[in-house]
Amino acid sequence: MDMKRDYYEDVELFSSPVVVFWFIVLIGSLYLFPMFVDNYYVYVANYIAINIIVAAGLNLLVGFTGQISLGHAGFFAIGAYGTVILMIKAGFPFLLALPCAALVAAGFGFLLGLPALRLEGPYLAIATLGFGLTITQIIGRVELFGGRDGLHAPDLTIGPWVLDTDKEFYFLVITLTIFLLLFMRNLIKTRVGRAFIAIRDADIAAETMGVNIVFYKTLAFAISAFYAGIAGGMYAFVLKFIEPEIFTLLMSILFLAMVVVGGLGSMLGSVAGAVLLCWLDLKLRNILDIPYLGEWLKDLSENWFSITGVSNIQYIVFGSIMIAIMLFEPLGLYGIWIRMKKYWRTWPF
Amino acid sequence: MKKRLMFVLFVSLTFLLSFTPGLFAEEGVTDTEIHIGSYGPQTGPAAAWGAVPRGTSGYFKWINDNGGIHGRKLVYHMFDDGYNPAKTKAGVKELQEGTGIFAWAGGVGTSPGLAIKGYLAKKNVPWVGPATGSREFVNPPQKNLFAVYPLYEGEAKVLVNYAIETMGKKRVAIAYLNDGYGKNGLRGALTSLKSHGMESVAQVPFEAKDSDLKPHIMKLRQAKPDMVLLWITPGQAAKVVGISKAMKFDTQFMSVSTCSDFIFMNAITKGAWEGVITGTFGEVPDSKLPLMAKYKKEIFDKYAAKEERWGIFYYAGILFVEPMIEGLKAAGRDLTREKFITAMENIKGFKGVGPEVNFTPYKKGDIYSRQGTSQTFLVQCLKNGKSKRLTGLIDTK
Repeated sequence: MDMKRDYYEDVELFSSPVVVFWFIVLIGSLYLFPMFVDNYYVYVANYIAINIIVAAGLNLLVGFTGQISLGHAGFFAIGAYGTVILMIKAGFPFLLALPCAALVAAGFGFLLGLPALRLEGPYLAIATLGFGLTITQIIGRVELFGGRDGLHAPDLTIGPWVLDTDKEFYFLVITLTIFLLLFMRNLIKTRVGRAFIAIRDADIAAETMGVNIVFYKTLAFAISAFYAGIAGGMYAFVLKFIEPEIFTLLMSILFLAMVVVGGLGSMLGSVAGAVLLCWLDLKLRNILDIPYLGEWLKDLSENWFSITGVSNIQYIVFGSIMIAIMLFEPLGLYGIWIRMKKYWRTWPF
Repeated sequence: MKKRLMFVLFVSLTFLLSFTPGLFAEEGVTDTEIHIGSYGPQTGPAAAWGAVPRGTSGYFKWINDNGGIHGRKLVYHMFDDGYNPAKTKAGVKELQEGTGIFAWAGGVGTSPGLAIKGYLAKKNVPWVGPATGSREFVNPPQKNLFAVYPLYEGEAKVLVNYAIETMGKKRVAIAYLNDGYGKNGLRGALTSLKSHGMESVAQVPFEAKDSDLKPHIMKLRQAKPDMVLLWITPGQAAKVVGISKAMKFDTQFMSVSTCSDFIFMNAITKGAWEGVITGTFGEVPDSKLPLMAKYKKEIFDKYAAKEERWGIFYYAGILFVEPMIEGLKAAGRDLTREKFITAMENIKGFKGVGPEVNFTPYKKGDIYSRQGTSQTFLVQCLKNGKSKRLTGLIDTK
């Protein structure tokens, strides 16, 4: 079992050479992935990777630091708008505009972290919710940001390369995602990460032990917002067009659902949650094509749930899957993974 | 020996090719089918617009039951994007690259449409009748994209012209939604006022999410207008007219074609909509036009779900794609995208249940080579949501 004998075992990034091997295999296959699949799946992969970045950042806040945010679509919007505006109006290259916009988002994250010092649970949820709703209203009223008409993303060039297709864009997205996830994993294992966890578990005890609550709570918000900002900046180039109405409350809720369904306080959980929910959101309508089951669901939907004859059963299935996961495994997908690992460890005995 | 082998190979290859049906056919076209795609919200806050692709669906079923097009049936692939542009783009790519779509029909909303506009242009996949009046779809014009929805700007101009010239109104106030839709209306209204040497007495911006409208109405009332032009959402327009009546703010209201479903508007305002004048992008629901009656009987009554309503959104789904069927018929049995686009460009004076449709060969910078409609007519709401036609077709250019 995972018996740790000294401090360095606790902080190392990979626990054994076997893990390193599988990590390299995974990275390699991720980079080879676009060569074997249709362009559509590359687009879906880009979309999922962007959501993974947001989920990882949000998990740092919700899962590791014990705060909550219903306003992450706001940071996402700041990242998207910031990147596009810095490129169009200030002539920044993409690789500079993206982190700058994310830093702006982080600045807002810091500001939102301040009320979080006094607010907890549902009160904090409402404060962040207000932020998420306000930010799109403000963006919509400013002409520089394109108002309600929105903005078109410029061509994406990095040095001599023009990233025009989904496949070209994929390599950028996947590189950034891997880098940000590794950074996050590393961060959690450092003093800073342990301070976050201490705040989550018992903030008064943490403060007694010398953890600066003001600093670390606002830092958690800022880092989380930074991740959402980076993701937002790339999202603008997935859609090539942004407008305020895209960044809705529903989006914030979906981000939070990814983290909770995936598993709070787990990196793997963020990834699994984002992959599962994005996939279901995009593909669940194909459930109606399954022989027999699809027809039955269609009948059910048309007779009981839809007044227009167009099936909406996929949303009911979507909700049911989320409820089932939380009901049977409160730790989310990460909990299922742990159970599977335990089961196979002793297999076949 | 080698020569003989080559000859046999050549002959067999020619033989094979000549008997393989559809080997040179266009993407999305087989011997018996034409695949058409569309999208629209069936769930979420914008679901009211979902009737548009359902109307198209009924229309295509009707076409198929009447023999299809040159022996081919239309296969209609419609998906629910929930008005989320990321999902629109994913769904469009999935169908385009997975199933292979010959052309796209309709498609609800400005931002979902703008998210896929570039993608379809790059692949040169024809797209007819996106359900949005935004200028961005035709300005600049794009070879593959044929717009049928009239531009809001021209419609506003016609309304204000009518108010000033025919009704003798002198004090015009404008309530507009603070987005592309509202600002296009505002621009058109101001152009008309300017041409008459007048200015608006008030311009009041609305946000789509504004639900308490009393401050807006107070502002309008303070300006003492004798006509108020409402370029806001149907729900807001209903509220403004309803509350104004309750506040004894008596003035002539005029509004945009999206609010021309009088039966619906009259019902939600409990009768206050009576007297309102709007432009319209097609016939009114209770129109006496034989084609409308035919569509209602043969399409709506036969294919629509029990709870569906014969409202403007439903038959707009027919109106937006009527020219597409015309183009497909004209392109002939040997269907390719190039031939279809040429056939669309040759559509002149086509009249379905909407205004007259005209396209011309693609010309850079010429909006009207791809904006098919430039006419509207004005209608007034009577008691019980009945409508009275006030004008003939008026050019909005």
